[in-house]
Amino acid sequence: MPETVVLIAGFLLGFYMSWNIGANDVANSMASAVGAKAITVRQAVVIAGVLNIVGAVFIGSHVTQTIRKGIVSTEVLADPHMALVGALSALLAASLWISFATWRSLPVSTTHSIVGSMIGFGIMASGFSVINWGKLGQVVASWVISPVFAMVLSFLMFKFIVGLILSREDPFERAIRWSPLFVGIAFFVVLLCFLFKTPLGKTFSISTPMALSLAFGLALIFGFIGKFLLVKFIPSDNPDGTEEVFRKIQIGTSCYVALAQGANDVANAIGPLALVYFLVKDGNVGASLPVPWFLLLFGGIGIALGVAMAGERVMKTIGEKITTLTNTRGFAVDFSAATTVMVASKMGLPVSTTHAAVGGVLGVGFAGGVDAVNVGIIGKIVLYWVLTVPAAALTSMFLFLILEPIL
Amino acid sequence: MRIPFSSLFVTSPFEGLQEHAEKVKECAWAYQQGIECYVTDKCESFEKFRHEVIRLEHEADAIKRRVRGHLPKNTMLPVSKFLIFRYIREQDCVLDSVKDSLNWLSYRPQNAIPKELEKDFFLLVDSVVTPIEELSAMVQEAREYFSTFSEKQRIKAKEIIATMRSLEHEADICEDRLNRKIFTCDADPITVMHLLKLTEITGSIADHAENAGDMMRAMLAK
Repeated sequence: MPETVVLIAGFLLGFYMSWNIGANDVANSMASAVGAKAITVRQAVVIAGVLNIVGAVFIGSHVTQTIRKGIVSTEVLADPHMALVGALSALLAASLWISFATWRSLPVSTTHSIVGSMIGFGIMASGFSVINWGKLGQVVASWVISPVFAMVLSFLMFKFIVGLILSREDPFERAIRWSPLFVGIAFFVVLLCFLFKTPLGKTFSISTPMALSLAFGLALIFGFIGKFLLVKFIPSDNPDGTEEVFRKIQIGTSCYVALAQGANDVANAIGPLALVYFLVKDGNVGASLPVPWFLLLFGGIGIALGVAMAGERVMKTIGEKITTLTNTRGFAVDFSAATTVMVASKMGLPVSTTHAAVGGVLGVGFAGGVDAVNVGIIGKIVLYWVLTVPAAALTSMFLFLILEPIL
Repeated sequence: MRIPFSSLFVTSPFEGLQEHAEKVKECAWAYQQGIECYVTDKCESFEKFRHEVIRLEHEADAIKRRVRGHLPKNTMLPVSKFLIFRYIREQDCVLDSVKDSLNWLSYRPQNAIPKELEKDFFLLVDSVVTPIEELSAMVQEAREYFSTFSEKQRIKAKEIIATMRSLEHEADICEDRLNRKIFTCDADPITVMHLLKLTEITGSIADHAENAGDMMRAMLAK
């Protein structure tokens, strides 16, 4: 089997995987803004596409390592032939599962799919012993931690907004007065992530306290610029002024989720692809190879194309179905989901935006902000989350059996 | 993929409450027309309005069942589920009393209301219909509060409830006055007995509306 064919196959499958991610997960970030008519679907597609690419290229490299060799031990991956077959079957298995799930409207996570298919390959390659159970446990823990963390965060955020703004005499005036805070904290987390995790921070070799104070200072400035723009663009006699303020901020938080998503989810497609790339190019993989930026860019473009080609339908479904999410609630959900994903991504845990968003929605619900939330459905969702891993693993095992003799 | 989000939300009970309140309001209108017909036209189209009310009551029942049916055990609400059930029951009682009032009237198709009592009876009917009309406005304002948490909105809803309370008090006065007149008027015992019961049922319409207001007040409490 000529190596170029394998490489092309790897790129195609990696592209298919990132396309799937774009078609599915991007609705998480943009739907609330689209549903609240803050932006049009077309604008959302452009924003999500661009920011996913930016997120993937500048912040994405950290998580990729976890997927690439966290779950399955390096011994197996050291065998070039095995690693090649494994990466390809994992990519295809995860993509197929997501496509199937999309078709069936099943709530699954792209991150779970790739983790599951990696496990399936690991088992086929050399039995259960090869699985890094500690790492897997960490992944499983993140399934519980990220929704709960997002839930607590959005609960607090919504209660805070209600107490500070909504329940007061003049909510609009207060919303404007406190807007630097809300704009600022959104910027703060974004800036921190840029400084901590990107080549930007490494180049300037900024220390943690330095980064914190820099982010704080910039957030402060951006917060007040944000206030200035809000005052300028929202007429003071707007009857729905409070929601309008948060509608504008929500566009910002949506961008922030899109960025976080690009950083986190690109790993699902690019992790295995990077493996294939290095195997074909160098014949082996070292203990720690930096993922080249052009692979991340490739994944980002795949995600962006997925959004552009299939994102609209999904986005409209969420945007129109979650009618109970107003802009203030949407802000709380977006903020908590994005922060959760960012923090988890910094810790190197492969979390899914879906979990964080579900947690965020629940948090707003617990705060009494949504007319009615069905808590019972959570059990079902969790069941699907758990099912994804064995399903992807089984498909991957099957594909491994087919691909092994061919390659 | 998107199913978790959409199924996270069950049908909002407040939507149902409002729909139900609109039905009650429609009923109040038919009720008033029916009474007018009974007294002036001497039962020409009274039956038509009575059946209209019965039909509306059936529709409202369906809404009530739907609200109850869509609040399974795991549903989480901004207010106590128990209060919502109590509220919709009271709102439904308003409808039932309207229906009972017309039914009771239909048992005596002719001359159930002596001429000298007509005016007072009209006054009583008017005084019980006004709180019903306030009901749907109250639900609307309360619903607005649950979506914005604005203190202003809460006060608006509370003001309507206070208005309903005072309207109920006025209805009580009308009922009392009518009762007194029934005993002083010159009528046969059957008419008196029929009238007394009619007054009681009609007066209870306002009572149920006030109770519904009290339930809503409990939901609005912080």
